Amino acid sequence: MNPPGTEKLHEALSQGQWENAVSMLQRLDATDAAGLMMDLPFEEQQILFRIVPDDFAATLVSRFPYYHSYVLLHTRSLEHLRAIVNKMPPGERLQFLDELPGEAWQRLMDELSAEGPAADGEGAPVAVAGAVSKRPPAVEPIAEAVQVEKCFIQPDGHQIQVIAATDLALEPGAITALLGPSGSGKSTLLRILTGLIKPSKGIVLWHGRPIHDCAPNLAIVFQSFALFPWLSVLDNVETPLLARGMEHEERHRRAVQALHTVGLQGFENAYPKELSGGMKQRVGIARALALEPEILFMDEPFSALDVLTAENLRGELMELWLGKKIPTRSIFLVTHNIEEAATLADRILVLGRNPARIRADFRIPLKHPRDRNSAEFLVYVDYIYKLMTQPELEPAPPSAPARAAKAPYPMLPHARPGGIAGMLELLGDRGGKDDLYHVAEELLWEVDDLLPIVEAATLLGFAETEKGDVRITDAGREFANADIPTRKVLFRNAALAHATLLQQIHTGLTSKSDGSMPLEFFRDILEEHFSAEETQRQIETALNWGRYGEIFSYDAESDKLFLARLEHAGDTQRDLLHHS
Amino acid sequence: MPAPPKSSSGVPLWGQFPAGGRSLLRDLPVLAAGFAIFYGLLVFARYGIGPVNTQAEIQLAPGALPKYAFFSVTRIAIAYFLSLGFTLVYGYVAAYNSKAERLMIPLLDILQSIPVLSFLPPVMIAMIGLFPHSQLGAELGCIVLILTGQVWNMTFSFYSSLKSIPREMHEAAEVYRLNWWQRLWQMELPFSAIGLIWNSIMSVAGAWFFLMACEMFTLGTRDLRLPGLGSYLQTAANQGDTHSIAWGLAVMVAIIVVIDQVVWRPAIAWAEKFKFEQVEAAEPTHSPVLDLLRRSKLLPLVARVSLRPAGEALNLHFSRSAMAAAGKPQERKSTDWIWRSLMAVGLAATGYAVFRMTQMLAQVSSAEALGIVRGAGATFLRVEATLALAGLWTIPVGVYVGLRPKLSALIQPVAQIAASVPATALFPVILLFLIRTGGGMGVGSVLLLLLGTQWYILFNIIAGATAIPTDLKEVCGVFRMGRVERWRKLFMPGIFPYLITGFITASGGAWNASIVAEYFRFQGKTLSTVGLGAVISQATDAGNFHVLLAATISMAAMVVTLNRLVWRRLYGLASTKFKLET
Repeated sequence: MNPPGTEKLHEALSQGQWENAVSMLQRLDATDAAGLMMDLPFEEQQILFRIVPDDFAATLVSRFPYYHSYVLLHTRSLEHLRAIVNKMPPGERLQFLDELPGEAWQRLMDELSAEGPAADGEGAPVAVAGAVSKRPPAVEPIAEAVQVEKCFIQPDGHQIQVIAATDLALEPGAITALLGPSGSGKSTLLRILTGLIKPSKGIVLWHGRPIHDCAPNLAIVFQSFALFPWLSVLDNVETPLLARGMEHEERHRRAVQALHTVGLQGFENAYPKELSGGMKQRVGIARALALEPEILFMDEPFSALDVLTAENLRGELMELWLGKKIPTRSIFLVTHNIEEAATLADRILVLGRNPARIRADFRIPLKHPRDRNSAEFLVYVDYIYKLMTQPELEPAPPSAPARAAKAPYPMLPHARPGGIAGMLELLGDRGGKDDLYHVAEELLWEVDDLLPIVEAATLLGFAETEKGDVRITDAGREFANADIPTRKVLFRNAALAHATLLQQIHTGLTSKSDGSMPLEFFRDILEEHFSAEETQRQIETALNWGRYGEIFSYDAESDKLFLARLEHAGDTQRDLLHHS
Repeated sequence: MPAPPKSSSGVPLWGQFPAGGRSLLRDLPVLAAGFAIFYGLLVFARYGIGPVNTQAEIQLAPGALPKYAFFSVTRIAIAYFLSLGFTLVYGYVAAYNSKAERLMIPLLDILQSIPVLSFLPPVMIAMIGLFPHSQLGAELGCIVLILTGQVWNMTFSFYSSLKSIPREMHEAAEVYRLNWWQRLWQMELPFSAIGLIWNSIMSVAGAWFFLMACEMFTLGTRDLRLPGLGSYLQTAANQGDTHSIAWGLAVMVAIIVVIDQVVWRPAIAWAEKFKFEQVEAAEPTHSPVLDLLRRSKLLPLVARVSLRPAGEALNLHFSRSAMAAAGKPQERKSTDWIWRSLMAVGLAATGYAVFRMTQMLAQVSSAEALGIVRGAGATFLRVEATLALAGLWTIPVGVYVGLRPKLSALIQPVAQIAASVPATALFPVILLFLIRTGGGMGVGSVLLLLLGTQWYILFNIIAGATAIPTDLKEVCGVFRMGRVERWRKLFMPGIFPYLITGFITASGGAWNASIVAEYFRFQGKTLSTVGLGAVISQATDAGNFHVLLAATISMAAMVVTLNRLVWRRLYGLASTKFKLET
């Protein structure tokens, strides 16, 4: 039921004809246009919204969900923001403002009434260096990735793209957070930006010069700390300074000062193994800060720590950053923790996967330190959740050449049946529908846990997602309420109906007279589509699902799959078949 | 407790030397050891540049033993340091150059499977040819021969340590731009220290095992003997002089125990700090000698005035030259042509060598070929029988000891000393006994192999039994499992990975040891039995190079094939299915 002109619009977008696309949208009925735009990848929405005329933007705003409009509005300059809101029909404007949570409303009111442009300095016009946008950023970037791509070549010669052509610029004065599901290539992107990994295509510039031709002053804080256990804390911090040819006195002075900055004075002669995780990461941060890096890169720096320690360390980092106690000009943070990103970052990049590309790039104009319970903060957190659970659209980026145009193999979400059941039960108790953010909070899950489970439940037809809410379906309710043998049968039927890999395995096994096949066969198929690690995870998930649903069994010693004989579950299944 | 001597800054250097008799007394052993090493080097140098004397009369008087022992220890030490140097270079290149790696690692695998004696003729002829007019040639030959027995496992250990450095640590080194010197001293060497030390211990033990063969041998018409503990024992065995054998054996065991206490124990205790673990170990190893060195006032002072400034200067030098290089745009120097020409030269040389080798192999007569095949079969059976026999007694004993911590604390040190006695040195005693009871070389060779290899298996089984978790043992108790059940369900699967590790080491060692086990000169006669080792030894003695080549290739092929087909698979099974997760 696509409105007319959908294809044309997509075609225009894929060729980068933004103005053309805007005029097409303007010719449509406003509701249709808003619906069409909502279905676009976020980066395209953002670019379009930035170039549409104010009065058209005004009609769109009232047709988008309020949080969506709120974020999009803040991608425009203050002047335009005021103009757009002013041009909204009074009734629609009232309704839009009404829906906004208290603090968001307050901020918008302030912005609308403030004199002159950028009165409070935070709603300042920001040009977003989006993935597709070719506009020059407002400030000269420190580091810039231009059309970087990364491919890995499988042993059998297959080429797998892990990062699609990406543009990214890091400007001074901001904390940029890179968010994305696990295995999406966040860390690879960080390593490309720091010169640790060479991109397959494209180039990384540092102040306009190729990174391998200059020695950029950067530092990385690692997830696993990466300290040398046989060196004392002081020696660990001094090592990079020595590598820069610094004399002993100067080295010592800077190392001691860096340790002082992170609150480790008195621990100079301790060895890393004597320290707790949080203290180790402090050493890691001190080692980075002692170099006075221009950009501080942090690769999931808090994810190996317990919740309280991480929280504490985050606070201290922000104190140093906001108090300008460290000479670092920019921080680039890789994380999978949405709240962490929303608390720390001035700018958030959301990465999609297979291959990785930037799905969204937006600012969070909230003042630091941020109150995590403020309604406005929650709007942003909610928004990121919605964005990350929104199914990925248009996976083929416009620049991708027609290389071996192979339909992407549907990926199994890495969820365990137990997790799926747990979430469905929770949803059932909550009246069948809830906000993803609340579900994650309730179950103490991070996005990494939650997203695959939601995806899996959706794939199996047990749940539906809509704009960040997840709703249980009738099939899901039946599954959640069933006893264990029935659950297995329901799971089996759903998996065979919707999960391609399980279908393939099942079909393969039933076609064999002895009902068995080597797992190697399916591993080979998967390896044509996925990296070695992903293949392993796909196999693990498939085995997990197949065993739970008693679709097949697996014998590790012979590496073979066997068709499961449904002896005990057989009766239940027959009953169910009669019912339906 | 005496107060530590106060030293204020500004005192001239000599003033910083610790005063007082007590601290001098404490440093006395350290000083004495330093002078002794210096004197020893002088003696060896004087001997080395002396005239050629490859037929040294070996005196069997016990009074000559200290000199011989000193010569042997020096040879082993020099060979060890050369091995270390080779290890560092070869391992480094193999680990970091993926093109070279593909060639170097299989090559290492093959070299490792070639028995020491097969290296003898080429090495000796080359070395004596190099220095025809001084003792140095024969000496160097002997040292290189010892080296070929100890270098390979050290190289493997260093290579695999380098390969297992965690990725983020490498990245930290790269992003913080540590120069290669810093990486070597602060990352690569510390990371591989523990593995290198343990493999060094094994290598030196191997050197003692083959010492007799390396110090005294015939090469065609030439009868070479170099003064040393090995040749002393060999001569005593030749003459059937039990008294001298006992003296030689006693001195050898004493030296091995002393080296263990003075070198290896402190090294292991010192290397504790290189354990790559993020939490502190519960019970560190102790070494009185290390404590002595640590308490010494002299060593830190010497380090302060010599090593540390030198290290600082070197570090700064390497950092600055690395910085100077990094600032400039890099010119992409193409190293491809170097590689390609190297490869071409290598291929040509290999091709030529293979051609000559086939020519040489063509000289092998059918009778000789049959001998090799029969020998290979016999040695194969002998090695497997040895492993079976070793397993038969070590598994029950090892598990029994391993399950009882108090007993194992008692037994382990004793067993370690027993294991450190090189089986070859015991061989004459065993042969004497066998000849008296009517056994022959057939039984003797199996016994020798058993003596040489059983310890690896025993120690591994004890370690495995100790590692069986208590809760699993309790489960057996709760379910009232019988003895058979316990062995089947818990002990055998529990020790399986350790057992396999022990068997792999033992199997490699047994093949290599067959060359001394199957062929022995004793009481003026040459005793031998059917076997590949005997074929190799005989061919060396007779200068029969084509047979030597054919037999060596057969042995290397069999060892490599067995490793690939049997041991590697079992090891894979051990590290997956039978791995006890903790």
